[in-house]
Amino acid sequence: MEIPENVNIVRVMCIGRLDPTIVLDVLAKGADGVLMVGCKPPDCHYVEGNLQAERAAKMLKKLVEVVGLEPERIKLQWYTPLEDKSFSNNLKAFENAISKLEASPIKGELSQSSILLNILAAKNAASDFRLRVLLGREKELTESVNVYGEKIPQEEFDFLMDKIVREEFLRHKIHLLTQTKPLSVKGLAKKLGIKPADVLKQIVNMRRKNMITIDRFEETTPLYKALEVK
Amino acid sequence: MAKNNQTKVKKLPPCRSACPAHVNVQGYVSLIQRGKFREAVEIIRKDMPFPAICGRVCFSPCEDACARTNVDQAVSIRALKRLVADIEREQGRVKPEPIPKKYSEKVAIIGAGPAGLTAAYELAKLGYPVTVFERMAEPGGMMRYCIPNFRLEKFVVANEIAYIKDLGVEIKTGVEFGKDITLESLRKDGYKAIFLAIGTQKGMKLNVPGEELEGVVNAVDFLRAISVGEPINVGERVAVIGGGNTAIDAARTAKKLGAKEVMILYRRSREEMPALPHEVAEAEKDGVKFYFLVAPKQIIGENGKVKAVECLRMRLGEPDESGRRKPIPISFSEHQYEVDMVIPALGQVLEASCLPPELLDKESRAPAVKVDLATLETTVPGVFAGGDMTTGPASIIEAVGAGKKSAVSIHLYLHGQDISDREERIEETTWVKNWGYIKKKERRYEPPLEKPHLSFEEARVYLEKIKREAVFEAFRCLGCGPCSQCLAELDLCEGDKAVVDENLCVGCNVCAVVCPFGAIRKNEKEIAQVNEELCKGCGICAARCPEQAISMKKFSNERILSLALQTQEVKTS
Repeated sequence: MEIPENVNIVRVMCIGRLDPTIVLDVLAKGADGVLMVGCKPPDCHYVEGNLQAERAAKMLKKLVEVVGLEPERIKLQWYTPLEDKSFSNNLKAFENAISKLEASPIKGELSQSSILLNILAAKNAASDFRLRVLLGREKELTESVNVYGEKIPQEEFDFLMDKIVREEFLRHKIHLLTQTKPLSVKGLAKKLGIKPADVLKQIVNMRRKNMITIDRFEETTPLYKALEVK
Repeated sequence: MAKNNQTKVKKLPPCRSACPAHVNVQGYVSLIQRGKFREAVEIIRKDMPFPAICGRVCFSPCEDACARTNVDQAVSIRALKRLVADIEREQGRVKPEPIPKKYSEKVAIIGAGPAGLTAAYELAKLGYPVTVFERMAEPGGMMRYCIPNFRLEKFVVANEIAYIKDLGVEIKTGVEFGKDITLESLRKDGYKAIFLAIGTQKGMKLNVPGEELEGVVNAVDFLRAISVGEPINVGERVAVIGGGNTAIDAARTAKKLGAKEVMILYRRSREEMPALPHEVAEAEKDGVKFYFLVAPKQIIGENGKVKAVECLRMRLGEPDESGRRKPIPISFSEHQYEVDMVIPALGQVLEASCLPPELLDKESRAPAVKVDLATLETTVPGVFAGGDMTTGPASIIEAVGAGKKSAVSIHLYLHGQDISDREERIEETTWVKNWGYIKKKERRYEPPLEKPHLSFEEARVYLEKIKREAVFEAFRCLGCGPCSQCLAELDLCEGDKAVVDENLCVGCNVCAVVCPFGAIRKNEKEIAQVNEELCKGCGICAARCPEQAISMKKFSNERILSLALQTQEVKTS
C-alpha cells in the first residue's frame, strides 16, 4: 500500500473513538487537514462506532467553518478492509484536495495568531459539556424519544447544533480573549466584529456558568475577566 | 493445600461456551476480519491442536449456539476454521520450537486418538516429557483410520500430528496396551502419571442369526481396512445398518468403491438420526438410499455368503431414556432386501480385555471404566481415563475437551494438589439485548465440502477467491463476548479498558448511551461504572464523555494526540 510521504497515519480502535478535541488539537499544531477513516456502515466491530464518527465529523466541519478554515480540511471516508487500492486512492485524493487549499495558516511565517486563537476556542468548545452531551445524545434524540416523549427531527437537531456550535465557539473565544486582559463588552464586540448586544448575551450566560467575572469598572463600564474553568 | 471454595465464573460468548474444548471462536473470527489468517490458526492452537481436522469434520456445536441464529443464520465458524488451517498448510507451517521440559515427571498416554494427542499436546506445552503409545502403525486413532479420506484427508491428520511431535511429544506406534505394556511396566519405566484414551474400538454386534456369514463386515472394521489398504470385497448391493455418522461414512465409502446400490437401514425415522444433517445430504447426493423404520431380523445366507437381509417394519413409541422415540416392531411385517454385503454400524464399545480388571466398573452393563467425570480420575491413583472410552462413541471435539481436562488433572496430581480444586463455572454472555437492532446479513460462505481434492494451483486460486468471502463472513460475527483476548491489534488495544474518574463524573449517562456493549452503567451513586468483563476498550465513551471523566487505561486522548503529532514532526523535519 502506497502512503504519500506527508501523510501520517494514527490508528485508533474505532473511528468513533476519535475525540473531536484531538482533531482540533492536530489542526492547532499546524496540520493541513484530517482524514477520518472508518469502516463502511453497516459493518462496525463496535456496532455503531462509525455512525458516532459521522456525527462528530459533521460537528467538526461546522466548528472548522466557524473558525475560519475550509470545512474540506475535515473529511470522513468509509472503507472496507478488503479495498487496499481504494484506500490509497482515497488518501491521495484527499491529499490533492488539501494541497489545492492554501497551507495551514498556522504553519511557518504566515502564522496567523487570530486563527490559532479561533482553533483553540473551538477546541475548548468541543471539550465543554454542552457540545459533547449534544453529540453523545444525537442518536437518542433524533431516533428515539427523549424523557418527555418528544422526538426531535434531524433538521431541527442540525439547526440546533449549528446554533449551539456558534454560541459555544463565541463563549470560549470571549473566555480566551479575557484571559490575558480584562475587556469591556464594547471592546470585545470590536475585537470579535459583532454587535455588543450579542456579546452581552453570551456574557450573561458565561457569568451564570462561572466562566467569567467582572474584574473592575472603568468609569461606569465593567471590564470582564475570565475565570479558571475547573 | 487450601481449597478455594469460591467457584470462579468465566463469561464466554455462546460459541465458546458451547464448544467442549472452549476454543476461542470470537478471537479467531475477529482475526479473520482483519485478514490475519496465520494468527487465527495460532489462536486456535492455544485451545486445541487440530484446527484443520475440526475445520472439516467437527459437528460444530459453536454454530448451533451462535447468537446470529436469533437474527438470521449462524456464522460459518467451521468453514472459517478450515480455511485458515488450509491457508497455513498451503503457505507452509513454521516448525515450532520444541518446548523445554520444565518438569521431570514423565507422563504416559495410551492411545494416539484425539483425546490422547490433545492431552499430550497440553502437557507438553506445560513442560512435561510425554510419551504416547499407539497400537496401530500410525497415530491419529479414529481420525486416521475410521473417517474416510473424502471427509478428512490423511495428510491433514498427519500434518496436525507432526505439529504435536515438533513440540517434543514422543509417539511410539505399534505398541499394544495390555500386551507390550501394562500399568506396572509403565510405572517401572518411571512414568508418574498415565492417561488412558483407547477409545471404543469394537463394533457392536447385530445379535441376529446369520451374523457369521461371509459378507457381514462391521463398519469400523470396514473403514479401518479401507484406510490401511487391506483388500476387501465390496459387494454390488450393500446394506448399512444404523443411522450414525459411521453408517453414513461406511455407506458413502462403499458407494465410492463401486457398489451399485447402497442402502441405509435405520430403525427410527429421519428426525431421530444421530448423523449430521449435511452428511446425510451428502450421502443422498452420492446416491445412497435410505430406508427408515426397518430393523434386521435375520441375515439369510446361501453357500455361506450373504444373500439377503430380512427386516421388520417399526413404528415409533414413547420417548426412551435417550429422549428419542423407541422403535416398536410391527408383527408380520417381514420383508427382504437382496444384498450381498451387510455392514452393521450400530456404534462401538470399549474393548475392555486389554484393561486391568481393577479399573472396570462392575455395576455397568456394558464394559466401562469407572471414572470421576469432573476430573477423569480412575479408581487407581495416577491413572486417568477419558475420551470415547468413558463417554461412549462421541465426537473429536468432545475427546479434545476430555484431553484438555485430563491434562489439567494430571498437572495438579503431579504437584500434589487437590484435583477437584479447579471448578470454573462458564456463563454464556452476549451484549446484544434487543435482536431487532441487529441488521440481517445472509450467511454467504458455505464450507467447500465438495472440493477437498484440488491440485496445488487450483487450491491456491480457490483460496484467493474464498479469502475475500471469508472476511465478509467473519464480519457477520456479533462479537458477543467480552474482550476475546484475540490480541489482533496487540500494538493497538493492549487489552485496553475504560476508567471513570469519580470526582469528575456528573452522571449524565452519555457514556451509557454511546457504549456499544452496555459495559458502562450508572451505579447507585449516580456515577458511571465500567463493567470490565464487557468493556472491549474501544474508547467511544472516552471520546464522548462531556466532562472528560472517562479515560482509557492505555490509549488516552493524550497518547493518541502525541502519536499524531510525533509522527508529523518526524515527517516534516
